Amino acid sequence: MTFHIDTSTGKKLGIAALIGRIDSKNSSELITSFALWQQQTSLFVFDCARLDFIDSSGLGAIVSCLRNAIEHNGDLKLANLSPKVSMVFEITKAKKLFSMFPDTGSAIQSFETNGTE
Amino acid sequence: MKTLIIIREQDYEWLDHFFPGIHPLLVPICNKPFAEFLIDFSILAGSEAIRLVMDGPLSDVERYCENGNRWGIPISYASIKNTDDLQTVIDKNQRFCSEDRILIISGFVFIQYDKQYNYKTIFASLPDGEILSSNRGSLRLRGSRTETQHDMGNIPLSLLGFDSIDVYYRLCMEILNDISSPYVLPGYSNEAYCHIGRNVVISKSAEIRKPVIIGNNVQILADSIIGPKAVIGSNVIIDRESSVIGSIVLENTYIGEHLEVQNKIASGNILIEPESGISIAMDDPHLLTGIHQSGSAKSLFQSIVHRLAAILLITLQLIPFLLLTPILILQGKWKKSTNSYFTAVSEKYLILTTTTIERTGPFSTLASALSLDRFTLLFRVLIGQLAIIGSWPVVATPSSITEYSKTKSWYRAAVFSYAETEEWPVNPGDTAIIERYYAAHGNPMKDIALTIKALLNRIHETNTHP
Repeated sequence: MTFHIDTSTGKKLGIAALIGRIDSKNSSELITSFALWQQQTSLFVFDCARLDFIDSSGLGAIVSCLRNAIEHNGDLKLANLSPKVSMVFEITKAKKLFSMFPDTGSAIQSFETNGTE
Repeated sequence: MKTLIIIREQDYEWLDHFFPGIHPLLVPICNKPFAEFLIDFSILAGSEAIRLVMDGPLSDVERYCENGNRWGIPISYASIKNTDDLQTVIDKNQRFCSEDRILIISGFVFIQYDKQYNYKTIFASLPDGEILSSNRGSLRLRGSRTETQHDMGNIPLSLLGFDSIDVYYRLCMEILNDISSPYVLPGYSNEAYCHIGRNVVISKSAEIRKPVIIGNNVQILADSIIGPKAVIGSNVIIDRESSVIGSIVLENTYIGEHLEVQNKIASGNILIEPESGISIAMDDPHLLTGIHQSGSAKSLFQSIVHRLAAILLITLQLIPFLLLTPILILQGKWKKSTNSYFTAVSEKYLILTTTTIERTGPFSTLASALSLDRFTLLFRVLIGQLAIIGSWPVVATPSSITEYSKTKSWYRAAVFSYAETEEWPVNPGDTAIIERYYAAHGNPMKDIALTIKALLNRIHETNTHP
């Protein structure tokens, strides 16, 4: 996982790149990291371009991140989901919970047009 | 006429990526193995014998189709090299092909036919040569015709090259959507667009929307939605509040709670999007998993639980056994027979002495009700040769090897049969369904409850161990 702050839209956006797998072994790591990232911002984009696999624990962790973001008047958007990962979001109905974008740029842009904060 | 079916590995190797471990000819199309469609068509075309020729492995399909008795047509098998052309294949099968008119189905193709149509007369009158062809194979006749020539006209017959997962998916959906059902499909159907197999448990709050085909031993749990357009294979569990719409769930698959499977194919732990051909393998008990046979840890726990249950039963039965057995032996109502039985391990046998009690008179009725005829078998559970509950031990004879080979994936010789927990089984087929169901869905604690149920059922039972 890598994290940086993007201010190109005039807002402070946290861009996190999820890499490899998110499963029962490392999903708690994402939740812990997210709590730290929240000290800097409440608007997030998860770049999933390099996310190869996600299971129900990983999905639970991402949903937990979304819930935390919303509780702090923020938002979490997903970008670059591979078809395989997207299929997991689809069958679990998690797709309905998230705003999804084909690339990170359009996800960042969306905060500018209708963003929170 | 005879039918020669020639299938080459290069034509079906794409299937292995999606359905690993399933022989291409046994891939189910609307819950019916592909091979059965070819056999049905060969019979409709007037064939009196079928030979299946492949350059890949044949053993699985041979085990399934055997000698063709089930369809009333002899089926034989032959291997070829992947370099053999059609003429070489015919030459190699000269004895099969000689004298007779031969229908040659070549390639990995699905023949779209209509079960109502009489193909026999047409095929007997058509000249030598190709009848139909597609990108993946052809249908041709060889040998002189036996009837005067007819025109092919508009007979309902076409070939579909079976070359992608999308073709497979669309074919299943097309069959499902056809009200007149041109093929014989498995399952019970008393209304259009709905075929349901045996031992299907559908929760009251589940919703079934036609068209659907549901296989055997299926559990559809509360608030699930099945269909429209759903094919559910055998031995499948659809967990609570999940929906399967426009999708195919192949056998031995578990669909977890609250899932929405739409326009997908699920096979074990593999989820496939047919249109794009993208597949994802997941082994997540909350999402999608294959239903496997018991693992070693579970087997060990099961074995311990079974042994403890056997000790308890021996303790309870010991005094009645010591008191009643001598009386029954003196009365000639305690009859023993010794046979060799199959064990769960392939090609291993077990010598067992089984007892039958003639149920006439108060002592024998009491002994039967207490299941004393099984008392000596309980010691076999202690040494791990038998399970406390499972399958009836199958007597090892040359003729029962076939029966055993069909059941050996779930067979577990036991003192009590799962079938004894139910009152409805009347024939070996029913018994096999129950045994298979509990073998797939059981667990050690459930086994104890089922053993108690079997013991209680035996109080009223009139017949004894088959």
